[in-house]
Amino acid sequence: MCRKPRHDRLRKWAMVAIVLLAWPAAAATGLLTADQAFDLTARQHKADEVQVRFRIADGYYLYRDKLRFTTEPAAIIAGSPVVPRGKVRDDEFFGKVEILRGEIVIRIPVRVPSGTARFTLHAVSQGCADAGVCYTPQSRHLTLGPGLGEAKPATGADPHRLIDSLQGR
Amino acid sequence: MTRNRQIALIVIVAIVAVAAGIYFNPLSRVETPPTEPQPSPAGAMETNLADLEGGQSSLSKWNGKVLVVNFWATWCAPCRAEMPVFVRMQSELGGKGLQFVGVAIDEQPKVRMFAQEIGVNYPILVGELDAVELARAFGNTLGALPFTVVIDRNGQIVRTFLGELNEAKLLAAVAPFL
Repeated sequence: MCRKPRHDRLRKWAMVAIVLLAWPAAAATGLLTADQAFDLTARQHKADEVQVRFRIADGYYLYRDKLRFTTEPAAIIAGSPVVPRGKVRDDEFFGKVEILRGEIVIRIPVRVPSGTARFTLHAVSQGCADAGVCYTPQSRHLTLGPGLGEAKPATGADPHRLIDSLQGR
Repeated sequence: MTRNRQIALIVIVAIVAVAAGIYFNPLSRVETPPTEPQPSPAGAMETNLADLEGGQSSLSKWNGKVLVVNFWATWCAPCRAEMPVFVRMQSELGGKGLQFVGVAIDEQPKVRMFAQEIGVNYPILVGELDAVELARAFGNTLGALPFTVVIDRNGQIVRTFLGELNEAKLLAAVAPFL
């Protein structure tokens, strides 16, 4: 009479144990993709300014000096992007580097010729996870324009841009 | 009955402690678990990449060795940190058939400079998209570095690692095959 409940209870414990053992295994693939870790949106916020927003996941960071912005047509960018200061880290190999965490808003001065309905912003970024891995430089492009709302990066690889970003262009 | 329950409780607490230890250790979170040896993906061993001598090589060049293929870049701090360990292991265990091959996702001049700086004593191949694709073929779908693949003498993948390696961890993975 006592056996069945005990059997059930053991089975329940066994289930709990299996779930707990599987937990770290699930976490082993718990790293975010670069797109998830460094969520990016942008919009032409004013006639003369584009606002780029990175939402960097907890436990991840971007290198400030690896950010690059270009447009197509190229002449649209009218000045240097204003990037918030990061936290200075004394890196064993790179010396003093600034890293960006959390939500970062970057302002890029633009001059959009009248009659331009849309243009492309290319954003290159490179970052790492505190867990001890770094992601290959990301190159993403977004379609912006006067009156267009917030843009997300277009999907699909942009091989030429990746090569450019590796070469620090 | 009570005793059983006590034992069960102790077991659960122990499992939770171990699981939490693994879960909250960030490096183990990027660890790929050991798997049964798997054949290398089709074409991966034959993919030609530029070497630092101006030629081209593929991993098949080192068939018959216990291969440690390390994907890295000069812009990746954890990659740079682990490489002196590889240099040491190459000189200590090269005679037993251990062969490191670096695959840099980077530019040649930067790679050459860093390799000289730390005295890399094993071949380095360099690529861009082709090297990223090779890493992906070996299972690195995140495009994150460092990424290290251990391949046995029969060309079977025996272990992959994502994140910085130490000597003990890598030695444990290669020792059975030397």
